[in-house]
Amino acid sequence: MTDPGMTTTTSAPSLRLDNLTRRIGGRAIIDGVDLAVAPGECLALLGPSGCGKSSVLRLIAGLDTPDAGRILLEGDDITRKPPQRRQVALVFQSYALYPHLNVSRNLSLGMEIRGVPAQEREREVTSVLAMLQLTELAQRLPAELSGGQRQRVALARALLRHPRVFLLDEPMSNLDAQLREELRPQLRSILCAGSAPVIYVTHDQQEAMGIADRIAVLSNGRVQQCGTPKDLYLTPANMFVASFIGRPQINLLPQEDGTVLGIRPEHLVATDDSGIPVRVLNREWHGASQQLLVSSPQGDLRWTCDGAQPIGEGLRLGWDRRHEHHFLKTTGARC
Amino acid sequence: MKRFGRGGAALVVLLLLWSLGPMLWQLYTSLRTPEALLGDGAGPGGGWTLANYVQVLHGAPPFWRYLLNSTVVGAISTLLTLLLAIPCAYALSRRGGLLRLVVSGGLLAAAVFPYVLLFLALLQVARQFGLANNLLALCLPYAGLSLPLAVLLLQAAFAELPVELEENALLEGFTLMQRLRWILLPLMGPAVVSTGLLVFLFSWNEFPIALTWLSRSELLTLAPAMARIAGSSVFTVPYGAFAAATVLGSLPLLALLLLFQRQIVAGLTQGAIKG
Amino acid sequence: MRLRALLLMAPALLLLLAVFAWPMLEYAWLSLHAQSVFTGLEPVPVGLANWQRLLGDGRFWQDAGQTLRFAGVSVGLELVLGLGIALLLHQNWRGRGVVRSLSLLPWALPNTVMALGWRWIFDDPNGPINALLGGLGLATLPFLASPQLAWIATVVADVWKTTPFVALLLLAGLQMIPADLYDAFALEGGTPWQALRRITLPLLRPYIFIVLLFRLAQALGVFDLIAVLTGGGPASSTESLAVYAYLNAMRFLDFGYSATVMLGMFLLLLAGSALLLLLPRGQEVRS
Repeated sequence: MTDPGMTTTTSAPSLRLDNLTRRIGGRAIIDGVDLAVAPGECLALLGPSGCGKSSVLRLIAGLDTPDAGRILLEGDDITRKPPQRRQVALVFQSYALYPHLNVSRNLSLGMEIRGVPAQEREREVTSVLAMLQLTELAQRLPAELSGGQRQRVALARALLRHPRVFLLDEPMSNLDAQLREELRPQLRSILCAGSAPVIYVTHDQQEAMGIADRIAVLSNGRVQQCGTPKDLYLTPANMFVASFIGRPQINLLPQEDGTVLGIRPEHLVATDDSGIPVRVLNREWHGASQQLLVSSPQGDLRWTCDGAQPIGEGLRLGWDRRHEHHFLKTTGARC
Repeated sequence: MKRFGRGGAALVVLLLLWSLGPMLWQLYTSLRTPEALLGDGAGPGGGWTLANYVQVLHGAPPFWRYLLNSTVVGAISTLLTLLLAIPCAYALSRRGGLLRLVVSGGLLAAAVFPYVLLFLALLQVARQFGLANNLLALCLPYAGLSLPLAVLLLQAAFAELPVELEENALLEGFTLMQRLRWILLPLMGPAVVSTGLLVFLFSWNEFPIALTWLSRSELLTLAPAMARIAGSSVFTVPYGAFAAATVLGSLPLLALLLLFQRQIVAGLTQGAIKG
Repeated sequence: MRLRALLLMAPALLLLLAVFAWPMLEYAWLSLHAQSVFTGLEPVPVGLANWQRLLGDGRFWQDAGQTLRFAGVSVGLELVLGLGIALLLHQNWRGRGVVRSLSLLPWALPNTVMALGWRWIFDDPNGPINALLGGLGLATLPFLASPQLAWIATVVADVWKTTPFVALLLLAGLQMIPADLYDAFALEGGTPWQALRRITLPLLRPYIFIVLLFRLAQALGVFDLIAVLTGGGPASSTESLAVYAYLNAMRFLDFGYSATVMLGMFLLLLAGSALLLLLPRGQEVRS
């Protein structure tokens, strides 16, 4: 039922999770997760809050211990290894910059602890500061930085770790919407430069689609589907994935034969007389496009169309059969 | 400020009179000759003297000896308490479950326990192990008695720190000692200072244990020294020398309190509520 | 990880057990023995004789009553005065930071120092109060020689010293209450007095609870103040249980009975705090 996600990966995986499970108080918050990430690949873990995506990161980082399953990094089993010895970097949602140290101290302290000689530290810090355009800010304290600057410092600190895998936990969620869109290409170019795989946790499907090579959709601690953004959009494995990917949400129409018909709002078209008659309940005009809520004999429908489309009386909507998705009402699985 | 006129000002004056009056009276007394204190009309300009201070400072042993003893005992007790309390508070703040519940409950009970009840048993210990009349040994019960409040206050401060800071340090390869040294303790400065000051204050002021453990007069700390002065008939009337002693005994603490008032207030209130 | 936590706590917990738990066991053992000048200061098992003596000891029960009265009256006064001072310091006026620092000073004084100070203030006839009374042509008051007046003197001294601490904690509580609540209440037509009763006091409850807990425990164990100010006199009318236990051990050299007195006091405290914990604590204020 779930796609193990190996189809698009050609090289041997760099990071593999086997049947990873973690329980808290008898409830499985991560329930048999299998994933594989290739060298240099960026995988997004996407899901609503509480789906277990951050917990997966913490298990990979070693901050928590799984109750079952294995974590393989470059072929060696790190499931029980202490976090210090895993050589992974985690960018926290809060960035976790040391508030009492300035930017350059934030970057160099970890290397100092690991016994990197002073000269090399200096050289590395200088180069990463330059690369992320932080040179001017080297003497500032975290409290004196903007959200975007803090994020770059956290990234720089992660880069200096020379990790075998990059883990990012909602790194954009503390930034405003406009900055998020601006930073996406930058983040992508930094992350994809190296050969270490990247696991990027987010609840924002646009962000996941914009940054990741592949997306694993998580719900209730299970991987619902793993594939390229296009796979997820075109052939969602179940109703959950279908609803989670694509905005506005897909229309799900229960049928009499025990299935559910799914049709995306952008695939509805105005027709002359063959379609179903609808009545407009609400209309949002966005310029290039417009979003409508209409009522039909089959139930209310979301419809996205061109901003120039005239909306008149006696409106009828239809769709191309090729855009239909069918799901079982009982399990939600694609059929 | 609305409606804080003359009535409010009068209340403030009353408050200051009430708080400072007795202390100022001591200061005044300490600077007066016995004749002036007994009201044998020394005239408005007369009757002032430093003789009381001279008398106290030239006693046997001189008064500064008690101050020195109290300072030594206070400083060592404070260091010892912090040394023991920090790891304990750290471990406690990082654990959930039954262990934490039991230990915090026990600590709270111990923190409100009237420790004066313990003096007899502690005196037995002192006699058994030959710890009486030993200023360093006195620091052991002081540290023990200060630990409950110290651990509770520091525990609350550790719990306030975002856990990601420590997790990030863990991923960067810091050992526990390095995390405490470089990340956690520098961020807990105010809490450590306020806890240390409270312990110092307690040790400086402690009476019943010092009274029973110390008998040699050159080893007395301030509190039992005061009681001894109070008990000796030399000083009963007039009070000039008494007052000089109370002024000298209070000044160091008042200075500390005024200097670190903000930290003490912050640490105390935070710990008291969350603890 | 659990092992490491225990290792980190072990030194502190061991010292705590040595200082708090061991004495209690020692007292339990000692209370079943006679150890006094009559036994040559050697412990002799006597069964429950000490406990029987305690139950019939008028002075113990009298002191228990006196201690309770002292703690109840002082802590009650401190709470009312402390709340008043906290409310005053919570207002927004110039110089309140300085006043707050100055009004906190009595709290930092050593008990013995301030007890000595008060002894001089209450002195008959040379203390300032009696000098004032004398100056006005009134009779002087024998503060420390009359049981009633001596008792009042101990309460005044205790209230003077610990009210700042109470005010400090309550002030912290007041600062936790969002100002919006008062604005909303005032818009609904509430008077300041109603705001105090309907908003301030209910939200202050957890703070009041903690103040009560700490202060009652301290006041019930009062020792330094009474030992220096009145020595428990006149005629043991201001004597607290702690002073009585001290006298039994250090003056009457009756260690077995002193231990019994302390254990008895401990049991009374335990019963008292159980009662206090049964009182509703009110909801936590979240910042």
